[in-house]
Amino acid sequence: MASPTAPAPTTRVRRQLPTSPWLFAAPGLLIVGVFILYPFLSTLVNSFTDRRTLLPGRYVGLANFRELLHDDMFWIGLRNSTLYVLGVVPALVVLPLLLALLVRKNIPGITFFRSAFYTPVVASIVVVGLIWVWLLDERGLVNAVLEAVGVGRVGFLSDQWLLLISAMAVTVWKGLGYYMIIYLAALANVPRELHEAAAVDGAGAVRRFLSVTVPAVRSTMVLVGALSSVAAFKVFSEVYLMAGPSGGPAGEDTTLVMLVQRTGTGLTGRVGYASALSVVVFVVTVALMLLVLRADRKDES
Amino acid sequence: MPTLRRALAAAAVAALVLPLGACGSGDGGGGSTDASGKVEGDITFQTWNLRANFKPYFEGVVADFEKKYPDTKVKWIDQPAEGYADKISADAAGGTLPDVVNVSPDLVAPLAKAGLALDLDKAASSYRKEYLDGAWASHRIPGMTGTYAFPWYLNTGPLFYNKTLFERAGLDADRPPTTYDDLFAQALRLARETGGKVATLANVPTVEDFGRYGVQLMNKEGTGFAFNDAKGVELLTKYKELYDAKALDPQALTATPESSGKKFLTGAVAMNPGSALDLGNFKKQAPGLYKNIGITDQITSTGHVNMYVMGVMVNSRTKHTAASVAFAHFVTDAQRQMSFAKKVAIFPSTAGSLDDPYFTEQDGTDETRVRVAAAKSLKNAVNYTPVLFSEQMKSALRNEVAKALQGKETPKAALDNAVKACDTLLRQQG
Repeated sequence: MASPTAPAPTTRVRRQLPTSPWLFAAPGLLIVGVFILYPFLSTLVNSFTDRRTLLPGRYVGLANFRELLHDDMFWIGLRNSTLYVLGVVPALVVLPLLLALLVRKNIPGITFFRSAFYTPVVASIVVVGLIWVWLLDERGLVNAVLEAVGVGRVGFLSDQWLLLISAMAVTVWKGLGYYMIIYLAALANVPRELHEAAAVDGAGAVRRFLSVTVPAVRSTMVLVGALSSVAAFKVFSEVYLMAGPSGGPAGEDTTLVMLVQRTGTGLTGRVGYASALSVVVFVVTVALMLLVLRADRKDES
Repeated sequence: MPTLRRALAAAAVAALVLPLGACGSGDGGGGSTDASGKVEGDITFQTWNLRANFKPYFEGVVADFEKKYPDTKVKWIDQPAEGYADKISADAAGGTLPDVVNVSPDLVAPLAKAGLALDLDKAASSYRKEYLDGAWASHRIPGMTGTYAFPWYLNTGPLFYNKTLFERAGLDADRPPTTYDDLFAQALRLARETGGKVATLANVPTVEDFGRYGVQLMNKEGTGFAFNDAKGVELLTKYKELYDAKALDPQALTATPESSGKKFLTGAVAMNPGSALDLGNFKKQAPGLYKNIGITDQITSTGHVNMYVMGVMVNSRTKHTAASVAFAHFVTDAQRQMSFAKKVAIFPSTAGSLDDPYFTEQDGTDETRVRVAAAKSLKNAVNYTPVLFSEQMKSALRNEVAKALQGKETPKAALDNAVKACDTLLRQQG
């Protein structure tokens, strides 16, 4: 660690050229420009055209956005993506924290559990999705158990709402480990003394959790909330795998990103309209981020 | 996980945006429609999910062609079944479409409209008489003149049924349904006898089902859809009855052909449409089912069974028009199609081939029985899928059908909405 009294470095550094910082940043900027900025801008431009996959489009002004307002599928998609955020984010903010508390202590064999909880994160979403589809099938393991205990079969994969809830459960299950790691890092920074002082004052485990742990990891909770809400709003794979390419019965489980994929791809894809949808997804995502961060600031004041 | 999802999202965005970068490049190196030149040059030939099973066959075809035309070189590539349309659209938009491409009529329509498919009535009209008239016409596009692909193999298949399940419900397993009325009555009975545990059908009706039921799918001019007529409403009403009685599988609303095929294999569903190809599959994967497999004809109200048509189109921007046309014809000529048909349960689209003893004489095996029956029915089969029926239209129809089955809309309202949505999509196709 350098202290204020440390002697100045003795080796002379050559004066840098004014362009040097840019040269260092060039590879990164180039990648950002080509793979993020350019696609983003051209999506924006396309959203004002009636471009199709194989046919160049004309400028149509706000026609795509006006059409959105009257498109039932758009509202279904918006509803499902929003429900996804509401269903998944609270669980992903709270459950990984509890999990992190559980595996924080260094007791023999704990590494096994830490790795076990992290495994779903590493697993391929397609593989995981298929496994859950088999488990939840009308004749799958879960229904066999339910039938054996006398509950009867449940149409996890044929009911519109159960499908969405099942997909949410998979998202939560798969995300637990990832956010657990983030919380573990945050928990390591909670001073032991605070816990000890609270214990001396007679605080029980629950009280210590609420008064010491939660305030200490609050900013991490906000981070997890922001990350998971953005991810949840853009959900595609889980719902696509479990509800099928058609998005569940009558397409009622379609999310916004699935709708983008369905309208915009293929030989007859409506690239312009799908771009307009993407722009809406972008705007909502940014709004969601701002909302979460703002809530954080308000709490602080 | 978030990284992965971001990657997926990025891929989706990239897929949306990629066409833009490439749109200008396609127009430059235009090929000619004149196929009369010398057959020479390097060309690429793309098939649709055929490498896994027929590698030696295609390598043989390519070798024979290169031997016949020593100045050519054919590079054969194959794409998996899933996402084939996406692969072609990415290639078409990016200007990297192969010279000779395996397509189906609904795939060729948008390519022809974008000017990417060679009009064979102009470039290869002399070959026309080698093919069945109906097959040649299947790659014509309503609203355009010209034919945009050589017809390749045809496929149709019988209806398979599980005799054990039929017997258990007290039905005569040797007298399967032959009319729609029979089918619906027996399906309802099967569901009743098994307490709703065994469904007879596993898929919601598709546009082909409406066609087979005798519904007029499009108006005569090909400018709008018409499957919301009385006949269409009747079919959907019947299906609703089946769905309510669980004679149509409860998961049918989200089923894919693969998932319903699996249900048939496991005995959850009593009937499944298929092809002669499936027999081998049953034998391997479900020997118990294979022993009790029943085979019957597709049910139609029109007397014309449904057939699927494969085609081979030539990229209009190819640099070697003569070689590409020659190769597309070579792959689809009578000799090549006949030898391909002997490798796998498909049927040639070339004139006279179906009269070959291979397609007319029984030898006592199930495979031959299915083959001979299919070949016979193909002579007046119809490709019910409207050429202009896009993926987006399929999903619009499917969603409305699902609403009707769930009772959220009347069958009439659902079909009216589907027709309206498909008409709008048709207009947007331009």
